[in-house]
Amino acid sequence: MLSKIIGNYYYMVAIILFVIGMYTMLTHANMIKKVIAMNIMDTSVFLLFVAIGYTHGGQAPIIKEGSEAIYVNPLPGALMLTGIVVAVSVTAYALSLAVKIYRYYGTCDYDEICEIRSQE
Amino acid sequence: MGFADHFPALIVVVLFIAAFVSPLLFRWVEKATAPFVIAALVAALIMTTALLVRVQQSGPVLYHMGGWAPPWGIEFKADLLRIFILLIVISVSLWIFIYAVRDLKHELKKEVTGWYYTLFALLVGSMTGMALTNDLFNLFVLMEICAIAACAIISIKEDRECLEASFKYLILSAMGTGCFLLGVAMLYMATGYLNYSLLQLELVETLTLYPRNIFAAAALFIVAFGTKAALFPLHVWLPDAHASAPSPSSAMLSGLVIKIYAFALFLIFYQVFPRELLDLIPLNEIILWLASLGTMFGSIYAMLQTDLKKMLAYSSIGQIGYIFMGIGFDHNLALIGGFYHIMVHAVTKAMLFMVAGVIIYSTGVRQIKDLAGIGRVLPLTMLAFTIGSASMIGIPGTGGLISKWYLSLSALEIGRPFFVLIILASSLLNAIYYMPIVISAFMHQEDFQFKVKPVPFFMQAALVVGMFFIVIFGIFSKPVVTLLEQAVISLF
Repeated sequence: MLSKIIGNYYYMVAIILFVIGMYTMLTHANMIKKVIAMNIMDTSVFLLFVAIGYTHGGQAPIIKEGSEAIYVNPLPGALMLTGIVVAVSVTAYALSLAVKIYRYYGTCDYDEICEIRSQE
Repeated sequence: MGFADHFPALIVVVLFIAAFVSPLLFRWVEKATAPFVIAALVAALIMTTALLVRVQQSGPVLYHMGGWAPPWGIEFKADLLRIFILLIVISVSLWIFIYAVRDLKHELKKEVTGWYYTLFALLVGSMTGMALTNDLFNLFVLMEICAIAACAIISIKEDRECLEASFKYLILSAMGTGCFLLGVAMLYMATGYLNYSLLQLELVETLTLYPRNIFAAAALFIVAFGTKAALFPLHVWLPDAHASAPSPSSAMLSGLVIKIYAFALFLIFYQVFPRELLDLIPLNEIILWLASLGTMFGSIYAMLQTDLKKMLAYSSIGQIGYIFMGIGFDHNLALIGGFYHIMVHAVTKAMLFMVAGVIIYSTGVRQIKDLAGIGRVLPLTMLAFTIGSASMIGIPGTGGLISKWYLSLSALEIGRPFFVLIILASSLLNAIYYMPIVISAFMHQEDFQFKVKPVPFFMQAALVVGMFFIVIFGIFSKPVVTLLEQAVISLF
């Protein structure tokens, strides 16, 4: 069991990062921290995908005639490029919302916003 | 390949092109923008109808993007169920758009209207894509487009509530997509495929080799789609987002967007996961119980609301419960009921949000207690509200009855009459919060206290269309039910 975990440590790292990101995103009151945590969470999944595609000792998948070398699976890498683009656009949109909310309240912290609203 | 063979891709492409052209058009020839988007939606509707005819004649249509067959290329699939959902999505959004063109003039600043059309077309395009796609990663990309467009048609109003609500929505839906992508990674790790049909074949064998991966994926998918479709304990973002948005956006979000995620979950459970998985973990039971709790608690929360749009939003949480119940029963009658409810609720809830929009446009009133006596000054609008409420409760002669009827029938068929009681109780709860509004609107002794602006023709026409279809769905349900029977039979 332990050797399995050590052998596949990159999967473990990805899952731990995912949980850290998700926990921070749901519990922290600061909007910027939420956006950062969202990125950690997305990146952990990208890491997992790329780790799935990796073969030990594999080469870049440029196939030469007659060669019998082992290649890395290129598909997860290609998918994750799309994933990164999507994550960037979501981040940009979330930050622009945070800027707009900051202009109304002068703070990025949800607890402080709740206080300001309750005083009105 | 002839032109007609490309219809599955063109439906999505036409809408995306409309999305990117409309802000340019709005800057140069402002008057032509709205008719242009309407033309794109009509074109998509015509292509879907042509596809329906073809599928009915010769079975499901598969379309390979760029000519690359799976597992390398992305595949679109058009079967009867998917076309049924497509028809609902496109025709309901066409109807909402015609209403929106008039209503947005008073809800939005003039400069951003062109951008609103962009977001609207993107939203419809991504939803049609989600209904058609047969590839998990493609589904992820379309889900993100849908999420950003859905948040943006809330935040485009730029007042405080809208911005906060859409930030909350964005964060929770990002959590949903994060979980979804992790689930996709689990399945890809175990099988090496992303295509639904290939996955289903491969998973039968993989289930014995790597059961934990597939259990984890199933759990992650329930969390992901549950968050996005507002399944009961994951619904927290919905009330703020749907209530603060401009009324046409609320109609889109409550009417269509939450349902397309429920449909995506359905596709994954029935067309990706093998049936053997259900013997190992009780996925259906989980969904069924969460859905039942949702129907009860959504209605209970709705009773406590003082704001009309908030009440309608909480009512959506209850109603999405019926759709998930249809998935959870795992029985063909229940699926017919669930899909019928997708159609009926799309029309009904969109119309109720339009009614709220008309009331806000004409009188500026949002509080439920201020609505007393409004039936005498806005008779047509409140008639629409009455018919909409009747359909929510499930009174005979409206569409809501048919879906609840089929759900109850299937509950009896599989020998669980307890769920019939839940359906009855939640219908009663619906009556408790919808009927007082109707009664006080028409029967209140004193006159309505606020100033009333005349309602534009197109907004009234939209309400009449909605009322017409709700009654039609209630009385002439046969053709749709026959279509659904044909579609569902292939799943069992």
